[in-house]
Amino acid sequence: MSNLLSVENLTMKFGGLTAIDDLSFDAKNNQITSIIGPNGAGKTTVFNCLTGFYKPTNGQMFLHKEDSKISLRKYTDFKIAYVAKVARTFQNIRLFPAMSVLENLLVAQHNELMVASGYSLFGLLNLKTYRDKEQLAVDKAKYWLDIIGLTHRADDNAGDLPYGDQRKLEIVRAMCIEPRLLCLDEPAAGLNPKESAELNKLLKFIKTEKQTGILLIEHDMSVVMGISDHVVVLNYGKKIFEGTADQTKNSKEVIEAYLGVDE
Amino acid sequence: MEKKDIIQSFKDSLFTGLIALALFGPIVGLRTASKGEGLFITPQWGVVFLLVGLCILGRFLINLNSARKTEITFFSKFTSKFSAITEDKAKHFAITAILFAVVFPFLPFTDRYFMDVAIMILTYIMLGWGLNIVVGLAGLLDLGYVAFYAVGAYSYALIATTFGWSFWICLPLAGVFAAFFGILLGFPVLRLRGDYLAIVTLGFGEIIRIILINWYEVTNGPDGITGIPRPSFFGLPFKRSPDEGETSFHLFFNLEYSTMHRIIFLYYLILVLALITNYFTLKIRKLPVGRAWEALREDEIACKSLGVNPTNTKLTAFAIGAMFGGFAGSFFATRQAFISPESFTFIESAIIVAIVVLGGMGSQTGVVLASIFLIGITEMFRDLEQYRMIAFGGAMVLIMVFKPKGILANRKPTILMHGDKK
Repeated sequence: MSNLLSVENLTMKFGGLTAIDDLSFDAKNNQITSIIGPNGAGKTTVFNCLTGFYKPTNGQMFLHKEDSKISLRKYTDFKIAYVAKVARTFQNIRLFPAMSVLENLLVAQHNELMVASGYSLFGLLNLKTYRDKEQLAVDKAKYWLDIIGLTHRADDNAGDLPYGDQRKLEIVRAMCIEPRLLCLDEPAAGLNPKESAELNKLLKFIKTEKQTGILLIEHDMSVVMGISDHVVVLNYGKKIFEGTADQTKNSKEVIEAYLGVDE
Repeated sequence: MEKKDIIQSFKDSLFTGLIALALFGPIVGLRTASKGEGLFITPQWGVVFLLVGLCILGRFLINLNSARKTEITFFSKFTSKFSAITEDKAKHFAITAILFAVVFPFLPFTDRYFMDVAIMILTYIMLGWGLNIVVGLAGLLDLGYVAFYAVGAYSYALIATTFGWSFWICLPLAGVFAAFFGILLGFPVLRLRGDYLAIVTLGFGEIIRIILINWYEVTNGPDGITGIPRPSFFGLPFKRSPDEGETSFHLFFNLEYSTMHRIIFLYYLILVLALITNYFTLKIRKLPVGRAWEALREDEIACKSLGVNPTNTKLTAFAIGAMFGGFAGSFFATRQAFISPESFTFIESAIIVAIVVLGGMGSQTGVVLASIFLIGITEMFRDLEQYRMIAFGGAMVLIMVFKPKGILANRKPTILMHGDKK
C-alpha cells in the first residue's frame, strides 16, 4: 500500500506552549489512520496544521500523488481543499444550517460549478452546458445522499436534521470535493451506539470504494478499534505509540497515558 | 391572566413611560420660537403628555398580548394570509404587482404627487434590492451603502456635465465606477465580520461624503452640481421648445406638451432598472456564486474547508451590490438635475438597511413591502413636517414588535431535488 501523507518533524508552538512536539507519522492510501490521545494532546492542532488553518512552526507535511509529492505547507486557507484536495470536518458541526441539504452538497462542488458557469456568465445566459454540469453535480449529491439515506430530506434545511444525520452530512459534503485525504475531527462525538455503527459502515465504504485516505481523531474507542488500520497515540504533543489497533490496546505506554501510572 | 402579571406589566409600562418622558421631554417639550428679537422657549407639555401616554398604553397592550402568548388575532391572520399568498402564488403575486406598477401612471387617481412618491419608493426598492445582495445574501452588514449611491450619482453628474454624453452611456459607466469603489471598500474589510464590518463600512460612507464636500475643484463642494442633463426618450428630449434641428418628445408623437411626460418616463425608467436588479439577483442567487454568498453568510470557516475562495466571493458581492447602488445613484442625479453631498448622509444608509432588515433578510418581496410601508407612511404624514420621522420610527417599531424576523422571512432553496411539492 502506497504512502499518502507523510508528516515529518511537525512542531507547532503557541508562544511558550508547544502543542505539537516533533511529530512524524505516515498515513496510507485506502486506510483509516486514527490519531488518539487524552484531552489536550494536540490532535486537533495536527488537523489545523494539515488543513492550513495554522502555519506550523517547524516540520514538513507531504501529500503523495502518483510519482510526485506536494508540500502542504505551501497551501493555506481554501487552497488546501481546492488545490491539494484535503478535506476536513469539524469537532463542532459546521454545516450551512439555513441552506438545504442539497445546497450544502453543491457548495462543496463550488469550484467546478464556477468554471462550468463561466464565472456566472454562462449561468446568467442559462446555457445548456451549464445546466448539464449542474445536473451532474446534483446527481453526485444524490449518489452520496443515497448512501447515507437522506435523499428524502434533500430539500430540507440542513439545520433541521437530527444530530447524527448532520454528522453524516458533513462527512459526505467533504467527500463531494473528491478529496485525496479526508480528515475527520471526532465524527462519533455525541452519537448513540446505532449511529456510530452506521458511521463505521460509512467510513469503511469510503475507505474501500474511493481513492481516499482517512485521518481520524476520535475518543470513542468502539469506533477507533473497530475500523482503524493504523493508530497514532499522542500525549502532550508527542507521539508515544504507533501501531495497529490490537497492538495499541495492549500497549503499556498508552494505558499509562490514559489511566496514569501505578505508584 | 393573573392579577400579579397585570401589576407587573403595569409597572413595566410606567417605566417605559419614564424613558419616553426623558426622551420626549427635551426633544418635543421645549420648542424654540423666534419672537421679535431672539429665541424664546415655548413649552408644549400637552404634546409630551400625549406621546408619553401613548407609549405607556402601547407598552401595556404589548405586554398583555405577549402574556397571552398569541399574536393579536387580526394581525396574525392578516400576516399569515399574506405570507401564504406571497409564497404559494409567488409568481401570480409578482405578476400582479408588476402589472399594477405598469398601469399605475394611467390610473385615474394618479397625480403628480403620487408619481413622485412612487418614483421615490421605487428608488428605495432598487437600493434595497442592491443592498440585499450584500446584506441579505452574503451576510456582510454594510452601513455605508449610500457611498455607492453617491459615487454613482456624482460619476453620472460629472461625466454628463463635462463630456455631454447621453444618459445611456453614463449609466453603465456610473455602475462600473460604483463597482470599483465596492471593491475598494471590500479589500480592507475582508477579514472583518459583524459589528466590526459595520463600523468600517459606516466610516467609509462618511469618508465619501466628506471627500465630496471638501474636494471643491471637482465636486463643487457643498454647492453641489447643477444643470445635470435630463434623460431623453431615445434621443428625443422632454422640452417645450426644442433647440434648432431637434425634435422633442411631444412634437414627435403629436402630443400636447406636458411636464407629466418626463415624470412618467422617469417612472418607467426606475421601474425597469429596479426590475433588472431583481431579475439579476434572482438569477445569480441560483448560480454557484450566489450559493457561495449564502454559504459565506452561514459559515465562513466551513466555506474555506470546502475550497471556496472567500476573498473573491466577498469582493463580487460588494462589487455587484455597489454597481446597483451606482445605477440608482445615476437615476437619482438625472431625476433631480441637482446633487449635493447633503443627499447622501448616513440616514439614507440607515433607511436602506432598515428596509432590507425589516423586509426580511434576503427576501426580495420583503424589500418591496418594507419600502412601501416605511417610505409610504413617512410620506402620508408629510403634513406633520418634521414629526413625520416619528411615523417612520413608529412603522419600524410596529414591524419589530410583530415581525421580529422581518415581514417575509422565509427562504426558499435555490434548487430542489424533488421538485415543488405543491
